[in-house]
Amino acid sequence: MKKYSITQPPVVPVDIGTIPEAKNIRLNNNIPVFLIEAGTEDIARIEFTFNAGSIMENLPLLASTTNLMLTEGTRNHTAGKLNKELDFYGSFYHLFAEKDRAGIVIYCLNKHLKRILGLASEILFHPVFPQAEFKTIMKKRLSWYLINKEKVHNIAMDQFFESIFGNNHPYGKKVTSEDFNNLDLSTLSSFHSRFYTPENLTIIVAGKINKITTDLLDLYFGQSYNPSAGHPESPKLPERQKERKVHIAKPGTVQSAIALGCGTINKRHPDYPQLKILNVLLGGYFGSRLMKNIREEKGYTYGINSSVNSLDLSGYQIISAEVSKKYTQKAIEEIYKEIDLLQRVPAELNELEIIRNYMLGEMVRMFDGPFAIAESFRSAWEFGLDNSYYYRLAEKIKTIEPDEITATAKTYYKINDLYEIIAG
Amino acid sequence: MIKFSRICLANGLKVLVHEDRSTPLVAMNILYDVGSRDEDPSITGMAHLFEHLMFGGTLSIPEFDRHLQIAGGENNAFTNSDITDYYITLPANNIETGFWLESDRMNSIDFSQKNLDIQKNVVIEEFNQRYLNQPYGDAMLLLKPLAYTVHPYRWPTIGMDTGHINNTTLQNIKDFFFSHYAPDNAILTLTGNITPDNAFRLAEKWFGPIEKRIIAKRDIPSEPLQTEERILTVERDVPASSLYKAWHIGPRLNSDFFTLDLITDLLAGGESGRLYTKLVREKKLFTEINAYITSDIDPGLVILQGKIINGVDINKANDAVNRIIMAIKEKIIPSAEMEKVKNKYESANIYGNTNILNKALNLAYYELLGNPEMINSEVELYRNSDQSMVIEAARKYLNDNNCSTLFYKSTRDSR
Repeated sequence: MKKYSITQPPVVPVDIGTIPEAKNIRLNNNIPVFLIEAGTEDIARIEFTFNAGSIMENLPLLASTTNLMLTEGTRNHTAGKLNKELDFYGSFYHLFAEKDRAGIVIYCLNKHLKRILGLASEILFHPVFPQAEFKTIMKKRLSWYLINKEKVHNIAMDQFFESIFGNNHPYGKKVTSEDFNNLDLSTLSSFHSRFYTPENLTIIVAGKINKITTDLLDLYFGQSYNPSAGHPESPKLPERQKERKVHIAKPGTVQSAIALGCGTINKRHPDYPQLKILNVLLGGYFGSRLMKNIREEKGYTYGINSSVNSLDLSGYQIISAEVSKKYTQKAIEEIYKEIDLLQRVPAELNELEIIRNYMLGEMVRMFDGPFAIAESFRSAWEFGLDNSYYYRLAEKIKTIEPDEITATAKTYYKINDLYEIIAG
Repeated sequence: MIKFSRICLANGLKVLVHEDRSTPLVAMNILYDVGSRDEDPSITGMAHLFEHLMFGGTLSIPEFDRHLQIAGGENNAFTNSDITDYYITLPANNIETGFWLESDRMNSIDFSQKNLDIQKNVVIEEFNQRYLNQPYGDAMLLLKPLAYTVHPYRWPTIGMDTGHINNTTLQNIKDFFFSHYAPDNAILTLTGNITPDNAFRLAEKWFGPIEKRIIAKRDIPSEPLQTEERILTVERDVPASSLYKAWHIGPRLNSDFFTLDLITDLLAGGESGRLYTKLVREKKLFTEINAYITSDIDPGLVILQGKIINGVDINKANDAVNRIIMAIKEKIIPSAEMEKVKNKYESANIYGNTNILNKALNLAYYELLGNPEMINSEVELYRNSDQSMVIEAARKYLNDNNCSTLFYKSTRDSR
């Protein structure tokens, strides 16, 4: 066989360039709007986001069910008619209810923007919570719940959140099948009127932006309103559980799910960039140490991943994998070995060079196109941060030293702080 | 409108380029014209296992990923019944690294027993994770061989069972490489911040020296016409019973493909689809229900699947589905509904074009189908489908004697 002999092309250092800025304006009634001009197509991605995530709920499922009911009927449209119209104008939407925030993201053609914004204001401010649709949604949700309860990955994740945030906190509380009987329409409706309010709303628009975009937003969302009385009290801080190791047995499964990690700092903390970098090295990309060791050298799993995630009141770092049952303990041993190595032995410079360039390349991808830019903007904005956060992250990626990684591993991956959850 | 330029190198490699200056990136896609339909029925799963091995390095570049990551790139790959596809995105000024890496592994890979053994394990864990350790994970493993009796679409891309994956030898792997991985069996597309001239120059420089190979002749048994209804009932320890149905349709290039795709949108496109509206919202027989077309190159399937509400009889649920199918065959679709599914297709197409990777893959796929211009003309083909074509296609294909039904019964359901 002939050996391929053309020499390797030179590689240019990756530069993230200038990150597109969002233009901040306010509607006539003071609702903040961020406008991100990007892309080649005449479309818009519009995100309506409220402080209405599960952190605000006093009953499990309340935030997410309220959110799902938004498109189940409004003042002027039944659920069927509403969805028919949204489909007719070629729009796509997704409702989201996360731990901190909830709302809707709508993708639409600019030529139908007027119609879609009109529907959006009905969806957000005038849902009617009909009984029949509510019953259907609850049946559907119970069915998802029962199916998800069969999956070792979900079992491990639910337990992980309960362990690190506590079963009395909305971040950590596990849903049970009884919770599906505890909601009623008046509870949903009052959750809605309390949290889906103009003063609780921010709008993020990305795509081709015209004068008409802001005019229409003012028309449908900029009307005066009576501010609701008082703001919701700040929820208490999560409390971690004492039990560090939990094994939930699930007979009949061929793999176990591992979730290993702990609560951690969030994006607002100055150490966050180095923790992000450390995480990528450990298990945050295909060439990570965990992937190399546990998948590519041992073949114990199809994939192992580690991530660091920010929440408003906390953060969490987690290593997760589904592994063949016969290798579960071995895989866990290897995870601890890799953490130990990170704490003791400084990373080689050539490994660090890969991480630097890979992460800078990822950052370029994070700002490629209107949809990606909007998502990146949102995930900094939620924490009161702007693009300077991303520039700081990029700077840290370029300049971090091996010793700093070792020190970060010692501070944030203390073996005694880690929770070890196994399901299966 | 997606503008592109196309050349074919002397060794048979087709190269297509679409320049998009709005991005700092370039997407590079290599499609190999090989999928699980090209496999020997006694060693299925080869095409997909091979895809894993393509990341194992070559004699000249032992670590594929490392070099790509140093250049700020990211990559992945997928295999289906028709194709194996590898894709990369890179900052535009480092795109030549992509050419270097992809041409090198097209030229040859390092066939090591160790790498093969590890990737067999990884793929077996993938099989376990996706098919065995998930509720309903085996449904498609049951439905496909019910619908197909001889055509290779009867087995899943990952392989018929883990035994096949385990029994694959290094010699099988070598033979597979040299009979399918070749410039004359591949399509290279580049989209993003690159000029066609530059892309063609780099393609010639890096892929030009690779010689043509002898591509295995495709000899796939065609599926005999189904003449009577097929039903399979299984019982599983799952939370709810589920219904699966599959109807045979024509090949991807049949003129009625677009109409059939629109029919699945009428049935299940979005929350306003007929199945959801009638069977979830109104009759409350299902908790979720979906229908789609498989888009296979050889004659494919329209597949319908739904989760049934506990306590509802599975036969009753099936009858309700059949009545909805019957209505499509008998009653003219209202124009507004027809317009709705066409609009939705068109807008999905526009949203998809915001992504260079999507455009790179689509361009390669349409080239494989024989006409890259379809990336622009397909919307028109959907637009040209009308109400009478819907009735005609539904009557032609959506019949009981052309249908396979899988009753996937929950042992927990009281009935």
